[in-house]
Amino acid sequence: MSALTHYRLSNHVLDRLINDASNEPRQLTDDHRRSLSARLRAVGAVEHRRLDAWVVENAGRPSSPFHWSPSSARRVLAGGALRRRSARSCSTLDAVDEEIDDVLARAARAGHPGSLPAWLASCTPGGLAVVRAEAATWATHVDEVAASLRAPWAYAPSDAYYDVARARTTLRGRRDLIVSPNEGRVLIRVRPGAPGRSAGAGLRADLTIDALADPDGLASRLAVGVWPEAGVVLVVEGTMSDLRAGGRDLVRAAVALRSRAERSAA
Amino acid sequence: MTTLLAAPHSVLEVLRGQRGRRPPTNRSAAAVLRTRLDEGLRRRIGAGHRETPLTIGPASLRARVPGGGSPSALVRAVLVTQILQLVAAGYLVEQPFDDAVGAWRAAGPQGELHSYFEALDAQERARLASDVTAHGFTLTHSLGTVPRSWSPRTAVRAHQRLADGDVVLRDLVDLMIGTTDAPLASLVLLDVTTGPLDEGAERVMRYHALVQTLRTCAVPLRTSIFSTGTGELWSTEVDDELLNRAADDVLALFAEESAP
Repeated sequence: MSALTHYRLSNHVLDRLINDASNEPRQLTDDHRRSLSARLRAVGAVEHRRLDAWVVENAGRPSSPFHWSPSSARRVLAGGALRRRSARSCSTLDAVDEEIDDVLARAARAGHPGSLPAWLASCTPGGLAVVRAEAATWATHVDEVAASLRAPWAYAPSDAYYDVARARTTLRGRRDLIVSPNEGRVLIRVRPGAPGRSAGAGLRADLTIDALADPDGLASRLAVGVWPEAGVVLVVEGTMSDLRAGGRDLVRAAVALRSRAERSAA
Repeated sequence: MTTLLAAPHSVLEVLRGQRGRRPPTNRSAAAVLRTRLDEGLRRRIGAGHRETPLTIGPASLRARVPGGGSPSALVRAVLVTQILQLVAAGYLVEQPFDDAVGAWRAAGPQGELHSYFEALDAQERARLASDVTAHGFTLTHSLGTVPRSWSPRTAVRAHQRLADGDVVLRDLVDLMIGTTDAPLASLVLLDVTTGPLDEGAERVMRYHALVQTLRTCAVPLRTSIFSTGTGELWSTEVDDELLNRAADDVLALFAEESAP
C-alpha cells in the first residue's frame, strides 16, 4: 500500500524525515520499464506527449494553453540562479540578473517562438523587473528550505527526463533539491500555493520518473513536497508500491490526455 | 510602535532597526498560537463542520474606508504594489504610471479589475495616472534603496488551514526582507497601502505577523505598514502580546462572520 504523510514545515522537520527514512534500496528493473512502455503504447498517441506531475494532478480537467508569465518562468529562472550562486558567492538578485541576461543572450542567438528566451526578449524593462522579482522571491523560498537541511544537499542540476521506448512519450520529473544522506538520495520539490487532493499522486509521479531516469533504476528514499506558502510538507516513501502507484497514475494521465484530445477533435 | 511621518529617515532604515537589539528567533510561539486558534475556532464551530470554509484575509480586517473598495482605488493599489515590486527588484522607476502598467501587463492580468482598467477613457486614465504617480513618488522617495543582500521578496503569499480546514487564513505581504533561518530574529514584513493608516491598519500588521509565524514557525522581527497616501509608516516589533492580539482579532472576526 502506498502512503502519503503530512507534516507541518517546522524547524528540522526535513532532517527528522530524512534520518527516519528506510535505507532499503528499491530498484526499477528492465521488466518494470518494459511493462510501463507496453501500457503507454496500449494507450496510443497521435503525437508525442509529455507527462509530468502537473498532468497527473490535473488529468481529465480542462486546461488552458500554456503561456509564459513571471509566475510560470520563476521556477526555471530561480533554479538557474541558485545553481549559478552555488558556484560563486553573490546575492540571489545578482544571480537572477545573470541568469536572465544569459537567457536573453540565448534569445539573441536563437529564440524559438514560444520559448522562454523569446518571451523574455519581448518583455518591457518593467516587465523584466517583475520577472526578476518573482524569480528572486521563488529562489528565496527554495533557499530557505535548503538552509534548514543538515544533511549534504545540492540544487538539482535539472529535472529528470525519461523517454519511454516506442511509446512516443517523454516523462518529466520535477526536482529542486537533492539531499544525499549517508545512503541513497532524497528528492525535494518546492511548490507554490497549498497542496490539493491530488498532490500525493504528483509526488509519486516525480518519484517514479526520477527512478526511471536513474541509469540503475534506483529509487529515492523519499520524495518530499514542500509548500512554503502553506507551511506544509507531504512525503512519499520510495517503496515499490509507491513506485507502482506512480506508474499507474502516469498511464491514467495518458488515458485522460488521449480522451481529451479525442473529445476536442470531435 | 515606531511612527514615522515625513521624517528624514528612509523606511528601510526603520525596518532594519538596530542590529544589536534583535531578540533570538522565537520558534515556540507558533505551536501555542495554532493550538489556541484551533481550540477557539472549534469551540465556536461545534462538533460538526462548516459547509464551506470561512476564508479570512487582510481585507477582512481592514476598516472600511469610504471609496476604498471602488475599482479605481483597487487599480491604484495594484499599480502602486507593482511599483514596490519594481523598486525591490532594483529597477529605477522613472515613469511610475507607465512602468507600473507595463509590469502589471507582463503578469498577464485577467478579471474584472483589468477589464475596468482597459475600459477607462482618456480623462479617467489621466486622472489615475496622476494619482499613481503621486503615490509612486511618495513610495520611491520614502523607501530608499533595498540592499540586495537583504533577500527582498515581494508579493509573498501565505495560506493556513485552521480547525481542520473550516477556516482558511490567506495573506499577501507586499515586501519581506531578512530570513527565518537565523539565530536572531531578522524577518521584516512591510505592507504598503494607498489609504490612510487607522485601527484597521494595526490589525493588518498584526495579522501579517500571525500568519507568517504560523507559516514559518518562526516569529518575525518586525511588522510594518506604509501609507503612500500620507507618507506615514507604522512599524512595531513582534512579540507574544501582539501575536495573541492577532489571534483575538481572528477569533472575533470569525464570531462576527458566522453570527446568524
